[in-house]
Amino acid sequence: MALIRASRTPMLILALAAVVAAGCGDDDDDGGGGDGGGGTSAADCTGTIGVMAPITGDAAELGEEQRNWARFGLDRFNRENGSKLKMVEGDTQLDPGQASTVAQQFVSDDAIVGVVGPAGSQEVDAAGPLFDRAGLGFVSQSATATELTESGDYPTFSRVVPKDEVQGPTDADYMIDELGVKNVLIVDDQTSYSTGIADVLEDELKKEGVQTTRESVNQKQTDFSAIVSRIADDTDVVFLPWQLAANAQQFGKQMQEQGKDAVIFGSDGLFSPDDFSIAGSYVSAFAPDITSIPESKPIGDAYSEKYGEFGTFGPPTYAAIEVVATAILAACEGGDPSREAVADQIRQVKLDESILGQPISFDENGDIRRAKFFIFKIQGGNFELVQ
Amino acid sequence: MDFFVQQLVNGLTLGSLYALLALGYSIVYGILKLLNFAHGEVYMMGAFMGYFTLIALGGAASPAVPVALVLVLMFLAAGLSAGLLGVAIERFAYRPLRDAPRIAPLITALGMSFFLQSTALLLFSADVRNMDTSELISPATGIHAGPLDISLIRILVIVSAALLMVALARFVAQTKLGKAMRAVAYDREAAEMMGIDVNRTIVAAFFIGSVLAGAAGVMVGLVFDRVWHLMGFTAGLKAFTAAVVGGIGNIPGAMLGGLLIGLAEAFTAGYISTTFQNLIVFGILIVVMLVRPTGLLGSPAIEKV
Amino acid sequence: MAPVGVDEWVARLEERRERRGGIVGRALAAWDGVAPVWRLVIFAALVASVPFLTDSDFVVRVGVNTLLLAMLALGLNIVVGWAGLLDLGYIAFYGFGAYTYALLASDQIDVHLSSWLAILIVVVACALLGFLLGLPSRRLIGDYLAIVTLFFGQVFVELVTNLDRVTLPGDDEPVDITGGPNGIAGVDPINLLGIEFLTPTDYFYLSLVVLVVLIGGLYLIDNSRTGRAWRAIREDPLAAGLMTMPVKRLKLLAFAFGAAVAGLAGSIFAALQIGVFPRNFETPFLILIYAAVILGGAGSITGMLAGAAVVGISFELLREPDEASWIFYAGILLALVITVRPWTRLAAVLAGVVALGLALHAVVGGIWPETVAGSPQADWTFSSAIDGWLLLPEDPRTIGNWAFVALVVLAVWLSQAGPRARLLALVPLVYLAAFVWENRLMLDPSVTRQLMLGALLIVVMNLRPAGLFGAKRIEVA
Repeated sequence: MALIRASRTPMLILALAAVVAAGCGDDDDDGGGGDGGGGTSAADCTGTIGVMAPITGDAAELGEEQRNWARFGLDRFNRENGSKLKMVEGDTQLDPGQASTVAQQFVSDDAIVGVVGPAGSQEVDAAGPLFDRAGLGFVSQSATATELTESGDYPTFSRVVPKDEVQGPTDADYMIDELGVKNVLIVDDQTSYSTGIADVLEDELKKEGVQTTRESVNQKQTDFSAIVSRIADDTDVVFLPWQLAANAQQFGKQMQEQGKDAVIFGSDGLFSPDDFSIAGSYVSAFAPDITSIPESKPIGDAYSEKYGEFGTFGPPTYAAIEVVATAILAACEGGDPSREAVADQIRQVKLDESILGQPISFDENGDIRRAKFFIFKIQGGNFELVQ
Repeated sequence: MDFFVQQLVNGLTLGSLYALLALGYSIVYGILKLLNFAHGEVYMMGAFMGYFTLIALGGAASPAVPVALVLVLMFLAAGLSAGLLGVAIERFAYRPLRDAPRIAPLITALGMSFFLQSTALLLFSADVRNMDTSELISPATGIHAGPLDISLIRILVIVSAALLMVALARFVAQTKLGKAMRAVAYDREAAEMMGIDVNRTIVAAFFIGSVLAGAAGVMVGLVFDRVWHLMGFTAGLKAFTAAVVGGIGNIPGAMLGGLLIGLAEAFTAGYISTTFQNLIVFGILIVVMLVRPTGLLGSPAIEKV
Repeated sequence: MAPVGVDEWVARLEERRERRGGIVGRALAAWDGVAPVWRLVIFAALVASVPFLTDSDFVVRVGVNTLLLAMLALGLNIVVGWAGLLDLGYIAFYGFGAYTYALLASDQIDVHLSSWLAILIVVVACALLGFLLGLPSRRLIGDYLAIVTLFFGQVFVELVTNLDRVTLPGDDEPVDITGGPNGIAGVDPINLLGIEFLTPTDYFYLSLVVLVVLIGGLYLIDNSRTGRAWRAIREDPLAAGLMTMPVKRLKLLAFAFGAAVAGLAGSIFAALQIGVFPRNFETPFLILIYAAVILGGAGSITGMLAGAAVVGISFELLREPDEASWIFYAGILLALVITVRPWTRLAAVLAGVVALGLALHAVVGGIWPETVAGSPQADWTFSSAIDGWLLLPEDPRTIGNWAFVALVVLAVWLSQAGPRARLLALVPLVYLAAFVWENRLMLDPSVTRQLMLGALLIVVMNLRPAGLFGAKRIEVA
């Protein structure tokens, strides 16, 4: 291979020069985000929204969906409001270390006045202090750990999904009251989302004297036959607070193969009619399937046309970016499109309608108000609301 | 007893799949002394090609041709595309490095694995694809007698994997090309001087190994119903371990290793816990490495001075 | 006919002949002439000035990440570059160091040791772990070592994710040791000599100091008996053994040393991130460290620094389309400048590329306006130039995919073709590359980063296996 016979020096110099040039080339977009002075109309309101999601890595399926919905949502918002807000994506791979770097990147980019994300609860812990110090408002589309809002550590943090503390008891109550369970197997998928809900549910069930067994799987696993074989005959319900509905489908199939007739009960990660359809199962969800909400269905269809199928992690991202974009416009109108103003406005956002089929507003901790959980049962191939 | 038989079946299925993959690693290592990290990604691509074939034929719910033909076509598509990919990788990434220090092809393989993963992510997106096997072949078919509860698809997997392995063994033992492969594995320079076309032999080895990987990919897609861009990594790692445990470079060793690892995984998951699955597999590896560093069926390595 | 013998001097012969005169050659010779101590001082001074040149915390953070990467590259260099042991699980030592520090300085088990003590314990513990891992490896030949260490790295992450419900004998309630998938949050900041390190800038300087000390120490070791012994093992373990070198002991020493360095870096990382999580230590990061080591040239300290700098900085810059585009186009230009000689030919190629673009834009864009309806993803200096030069369809995802495949196939075919074909196809190849970049790769900058990392490893290994600063080695069969 006689392709490179040159000595290494010019190569190295040019390589370093390119890197330096790239670093310096950043100076062009200093001081974006509009200046002060009187109120700015939507068309003149410039601002960028940073979007953090696990776009690559193990959770890429969720992250890509979140990123695509954010893009889709912002495009629609811009079209409907005549604004020209922009979006920058930040890949965290669900790794808090990367979340911290991405957060730093967003904080240092003056054009960014609001953030959607991070997706994971530990990522909020990693990025939170940075955003807090910079006064940057951030709205998470999927971080459900209860302490994130209750501790008050992150005053600029809000979320469009309810905390674990809400989902667990709702599910537990339903299981005890409606299904009369005595013996429940809980299987988490080792993510903090999953263990969070599982822990709360386990506590609630134990309080009522229900016998619980705890197992754990890996998200990368595709074969659950071993755990399935271990399901005791007197198990009433198998609780799967998983993020990946396709895994749950596989689990259910293997249960059928081995003749286990316990009922599957899933959290909102399983709310994916395309991926999970074991008849007789229950799924609790923060929001109903948006395709069953008449106002939201066309949005879902428009998304599918461009990007393909989606599950439950996408629409909340749409809602989140809508919230941030609305806040930015409100701040612009007030004449002060700074980060602090936007962060303030985020908490004051009141949307009468949203893609999630309910109005959006936030309480003093940043939690979404009136977070209700719906419980569905899969009957006749459809998700039917039972509570 | 039921439980035991169930785990046995699981183990055999897993084991056959690992064995198929392990064979690819072993054959290539035997000939080139190269650990082909990209092999897992070839398997993943094969699975995707099988999936796309299925979709092209109408999908699992309404195939345009009879189910048996669908399966055959899927296997052909997966095997061939995987084989071609493997050959291409050898030709363009590994061949220039045949005489380079050992670390070079190893790092290239690592880089190739990463590159292929990212390419799959780029082209196919992160969506997990489902083959919806249950629509194609109902889980009710199969053997459900007494303690046995095997679905047709698992039987298919175990049987076809066995057939492929037997075919391979005979090929290596009896055909000219097979003998050439053994010769090149033993001593490349001597084989070359005896008139064996070394390049052709190496290409054949890669082709065969990759075809097996592609077939394994489709089988995994059918049994476990998930095809996605990261599937090559974990499967590759386990199959790798299997090849090493059995004695890398050794074909019967790869088969033995695969079955051993598969059964170990199934029984650990069944009787202990899934959490310890990977740890136990690793433990087996360590033990074998300590007791018999060249693997169970491997011949003690003689270092030529 | 390859030269016979394993000999660095012989291999370097070609390089010595290549040494250029002129300004560059003399500058390089002058640099080599400066005593190592001063080289180190100059290097440290240059790096230390970075936080003053920018007011962006992000740049400082990238700097810290790069410094940590440099430390890890140096540590891995000990194992792979100096001792020739292929350790594919190196990242586990980093993780072990980070987790140990976290356990000794957080609320997890309610231990809050002083930073000095904690870091000391971490370094010793990691060295011990390296030693233990090295024990079974004494009997393993090269590739087997790679396999075992690879698996060790995977198992570490598994262990750490699952040790949050450990039932100790004598305890009824399960104990949470590592925090499971949630990791350990709230790690104490490092507190040395009365200074509490809190901001990225603080950690930048801390890392720089540690790095400088490390470089100094490693340089001394490299020129000591142990360093020479390691080099001997790398070149020919059998001969070294026959020369009464304690091969096994040296291998263990290399492992332990490399692990200790990783542990040190890990503790700084834990304090910087104010927490440790299992996901911090997965395979993609290992590949990054290897990329730095390989690019720089395993075996050379300068190489490690250069490799870490190039890989670390560009990997971060590739996150955003604006910066990424700089790197891409500069890279293409660089590649052309190096490979196409003399300069008249280069000018012809560049002119050809520009002309081809403009022609296509005019003709194809004229007939089918949709093919130029889109715009570049990045918003940088040359955006408008590119908009007028390249075909940019409105919704380029599908055509981008096909173009990508075509690009890979074409590039691969070209690498095997003759010089005539290569020159002819170069112009369309460059155009196609720009097309794929703007239309497909920049739609997914996060995926593109990884793609380019993988491609980098493949290309570097094929073109220059010794890396930028490595010593060319020739092996006898």
